[in-house]
Parts: sequence; C-alpha cells; structure tokens
Amino acid sequence: MVLVESGEKENLMELVRDRLVESGWKDEMRIACREHVKKKGRKDVTVDELIRVITPKGRASVPDAVKEELLNRIQKFIQSAAL
Amino acid sequence: MSNSEDNKSSHDQLSSQVFLDLVDSVIADVASECHRIARLGLDKDLEVVEEELRLSVEARAKVADPSNNLETNTKYVVDIFGQSHPPVATEVFNCMNCGRQIVAGRFAPHLERCMGKGRKARAKATRSTTASQNRNSRRNTSDNQLSSAPPGFEENVKRA
Repeated sequence: MVLVESGEKENLMELVRDRLVESGWKDEMRIACREHVKKKGRKDVTVDELIRVITPKGRASVPDAVKEELLNRIQKFIQSAAL
Repeated sequence: MSNSEDNKSSHDQLSSQVFLDLVDSVIADVASECHRIARLGLDKDLEVVEEELRLSVEARAKVADPSNNLETNTKYVVDIFGQSHPPVATEVFNCMNCGRQIVAGRFAPHLERCMGKGRKARAKATRSTTASQNRNSRRNTSDNQLSSAPPGFEENVKRA
C-alpha cells in the first residue's frame, strides 16, 4: 500500500510510539502485563495471551489528543495520496 | 456532493483502520517485551514474590508434616507458634551498597566482595588500574583509610 511504500507508515509508527510513551500509556500497559504475569505465574504466560489481555484496555486508553493528532495526520496523507 | 461525502466517510474508515493497526503494533511490542522480561526472570519484583511464596509454602509444609518430630528436631528449632527457623537465615532483602537482592545468611560474604574489604576483592580492584594512579588516589582520598595504609599493615592486623 502507498502508506508503507512511501515510508509514511514508519514515520507514523515512530510518532505513535513516542506519543504513547510520553503520555505514560506504555507504562500503564507494562503494569497491566506484570499484574497478569503475577497472577498466572511467569513460566506459563504466552505472548498471545498478554496481547489478548491488554489489547482492549490498550485501545481504549489511548489519550484523545494522541488519537486526534494521529488521525489528522493519517487523513492528510490519504487525501494527498488520492490526488 | 454525495460523491465527496462517500469519499470522506471511507477516508475516515480507512484512517481509523490505519490508526488501530498502529496501536495494535505498539501493543504487540509491549506484550512481547513484557513476556521476554517475565520468562527470563529479569523482573526483580516478580522474583521476590515467587521466592517468598516458595519459602512460605515450604515452611507451612514443614509445620504441617506430622512425621516431622518437632521436639527433638535438632536442625530446625520450632518455637511455640509452630514456626521453624532454618539455621541459615533465608530472608531476602536489598543490599544497601549495590542494591542487589541478597539472602540474609549470605550477606556477610557478599558485603566483603561488594565493598572491597576482602583480600582477593581488593587485589582485584588495584590490579585493574595502573600503579601510579593507585599511589595518587591513596594520597588524595581521605575517606578510604584502608587504602592509605601500606599493604604490610593490613597483613599484620589480620595476624593479630
């Protein structure tokens, strides 16, 4: 897709990561993971399980400002690519 | 015009999809990182919790075991509350010098190495720097009194 080819996806990924780290979202996710690992015992836990556990919370807890910024940027790109 | 409206809503959908895709990628990264830390035992807190659980389970089993002759058990003294005290203290705590987690019973030997008091530990530290640097540091530092004394002095003190 044009998004990947133009390198814009890389830029967006970096932007998302930076924003989510800054806002403390990543720390919250890591805490949630640790809680689950403590419950399950660290030898039994799998990556898929962790993803399954934190995805709903992760998606819901993205700060609105971050979401807006990202969506705006994505839309701008799509519009400019469609021209 | 309806055409541009359709375009806009499909753009919105596409943007949302892309956005969710990005967030999911980051979530997968975080999960993978935490999984690795958990499985490799790099998380100190988790280890402490596990160690404490293990010790408490062991202690409880020991007390509950009827075949264990509590009164004449010479190795493990049992007090009136039914708690057993192993000869080597098994409590784990943080060394105030290096911050590592140390078993209490092994704390003294650990401190020797950690603070550079033992013969071998000190020799290791001095060997890694040049001789002239050592002489300078001995003259300048006033807090580490051991290093300012001549080497023969320490040997005499030990023999005494």
